Amino acid sequence: MSAVTFITRRRGGRGWHWTDVVTFAWLGAGLIVIFGPALWLILSSFKSPAQLSEFPPSALPYETRTAVVEGYDNPLPLFIVTDEAGTRILAEVRRVGTVAQMVDPINPAEVQRINIADRVPDRSVGFAVSNYAEPFLDFDFMLYLRNSVFVTVMATIITLLTNSMAAFALSKYQFRGRNGVMLLVLATLMIPLSVILVPLYSIISSVGLLNSLWGVILPTVATPTGVFLLRQYMLTIPDELLEAARMDHASEWQIYWRIVLPLTAPALAVLGIFSVVWRWNDFLWPLIVLSRKEVYTLQVGLNQYAGELNVQWHYILAMTVVTMIPVVIVFVFLQRFITTGIAGTGLK
Amino acid sequence: MGQITLNGITKSYGAVAVLKGIDLTVGEGELVVFVGPSGCGKSTLLRMIAGLDQPTAGRIVIDGKDVTAQSAADRGLAMVFQSYALYPHMTVRQNMAFGLQNTRMPRAEIDARIADAARLLEIEPLLARRPGQLSGGQRQRVAIGRAIVRRPTAFLLDEPLSNLDAELRVSMRAELSALHDRLGATMIHVTHDQVEAMTMADRIVVLRAGRVEQVDTPLNLYNRPANLFVAGFIGAPGMNLWGATSLGQGRLRLESGREMALTGVPLPDGGPVTIGLRPQHLRQVDPGAPDSIPANVTLIEALGAESVVHATLDDGGRLLAVLPGQPRLQKGDPIAFGFDPADLHLFGPDGTRLTGV
Repeated sequence: MSAVTFITRRRGGRGWHWTDVVTFAWLGAGLIVIFGPALWLILSSFKSPAQLSEFPPSALPYETRTAVVEGYDNPLPLFIVTDEAGTRILAEVRRVGTVAQMVDPINPAEVQRINIADRVPDRSVGFAVSNYAEPFLDFDFMLYLRNSVFVTVMATIITLLTNSMAAFALSKYQFRGRNGVMLLVLATLMIPLSVILVPLYSIISSVGLLNSLWGVILPTVATPTGVFLLRQYMLTIPDELLEAARMDHASEWQIYWRIVLPLTAPALAVLGIFSVVWRWNDFLWPLIVLSRKEVYTLQVGLNQYAGELNVQWHYILAMTVVTMIPVVIVFVFLQRFITTGIAGTGLK
Repeated sequence: MGQITLNGITKSYGAVAVLKGIDLTVGEGELVVFVGPSGCGKSTLLRMIAGLDQPTAGRIVIDGKDVTAQSAADRGLAMVFQSYALYPHMTVRQNMAFGLQNTRMPRAEIDARIADAARLLEIEPLLARRPGQLSGGQRQRVAIGRAIVRRPTAFLLDEPLSNLDAELRVSMRAELSALHDRLGATMIHVTHDQVEAMTMADRIVVLRAGRVEQVDTPLNLYNRPANLFVAGFIGAPGMNLWGATSLGQGRLRLESGREMALTGVPLPDGGPVTIGLRPQHLRQVDPGAPDSIPANVTLIEALGAESVVHATLDDGGRLLAVLPGQPRLQKGDPIAFGFDPADLHLFGPDGTRLTGV
């Protein structure tokens, strides 16, 4: 099936049913809403600072052509000028108010005064790759990347381990207060980070984890969402499997590690994706815990470009694109696991 | 090895008593079937023997050792679950090896045992597959294989055939019986299917509402049911049971008012009784024959070799008869049945069998 026939498929095959129209409109709108900002971000990350502040903004990144003109040290930007004297290409020397002083690159001796309304920049589609290249050279990108990867990987591993243990206990053991504990875990969902920020900070500070990556990792690993997600999934694993394992001399730890955990793989993959995205994108908490440059994560590092007086949007946008890449890769690899539920196939 | 004794086992969930004092001894090498309607506690009893549940009171003794407080793994039993409970993420070989690895058995020994069991059950080509890639019958074999490799003192089978289709069930039934003969191990088999119980068991334990109703060989249960429940439960179609009043001197009055003389049957001198007759023991006789039972045909289920005749008696009671061949009968036809008094079962007002019959 070619791509064209695939994307123009219709219900019943012939003619356009109104549901086809609604479906395509809905999906199209969804595509624009969800994919549009990402595309806009990527295109904008290739724009020069001047172009980013332009209004109305352009979709594609452009570069103004420049020319080296005799008598001037720096290359001068070129403009297409249209006035009584006809249409020609001139280089701008300087601009004063609404009047620009321009020279013809072929005849640089004569300075012309042109009203800026009579000219448009002479430019073509071009990518400002320097937005990417310069931060890699000036900015400690590799150090921040290493810190971010460490935080994300460790936090995700610990999250999966501790949350699955809690979920195992809450789904497979009967004990007094089980539902109460579950409710308590879920209740913490209602407490936003900003409420516990100060007490959390004083705890981390008193155990000496300030300016340590572990100080970023440890407070985030116990997630109510993760416990709930895994518990609901584990409830669907039949108890008979656990009983069979018990008859098979398996210890409770082995039941967890060799039976329940492998069968929970699809839910673990989902939580893994969540955890990677959460930890990678974390900004507020690392910003508070980390105050030395050597331990900055990418998100905190990027914050350096947003100064009090001047925001270097072109670098922020470019580095944001770079920081998005790992999350996208993780999703591409793990999303396959979401759909492959393997529990239950051994029964009936 | 393999004698299991239950002493006064009771189990209550809160105020609900599920088992009300079970005493039973399963002999070494015996195939005992627990049978009963759903909710009678037969699976609970099995789980208690397995060690997956604890009895509220009572003792479980295996080979002279009190194991009531022991964990499931330490009792040396193997269980085949109704859903088979194969580990879905492991291959057949890993499924069978899991229990042995946990006891730290040497690898060579594990491989040898798996090879033995696989040969016995003819599942050698399946060892590398996962349960999801097996058919119902194959999964069943693997589940049994997983039990066999453990070399248990006894096998506990919880409705192992209930998930199979009818044809496969018949063949697996025969295979299980053959396996029992070959292994010579004690087996306890739980089922609600009385055909399964009758065909496989050395002895059948009939349970109802947490009590043992009768324990006996299949044919003794069929021929001499101890009470009304067993009489109605064992045998298909179910036994005809009619209320009657004994008049003494071998005479009996049915609910319809018809009186009958029964010779050679020790009737009590007066009082209500229940008479039971298996549908297979009724035969068609000429209407008006002495001591015959007249009725009207309401439905005929022709099975070819035999026909199940549903009929109503003149007092409105129901009657089932299994007649050989394909009798020419139609709905509404009057019919009369005769029987041999020796085939009659008599039950007292409390539902227990009247002795001497």
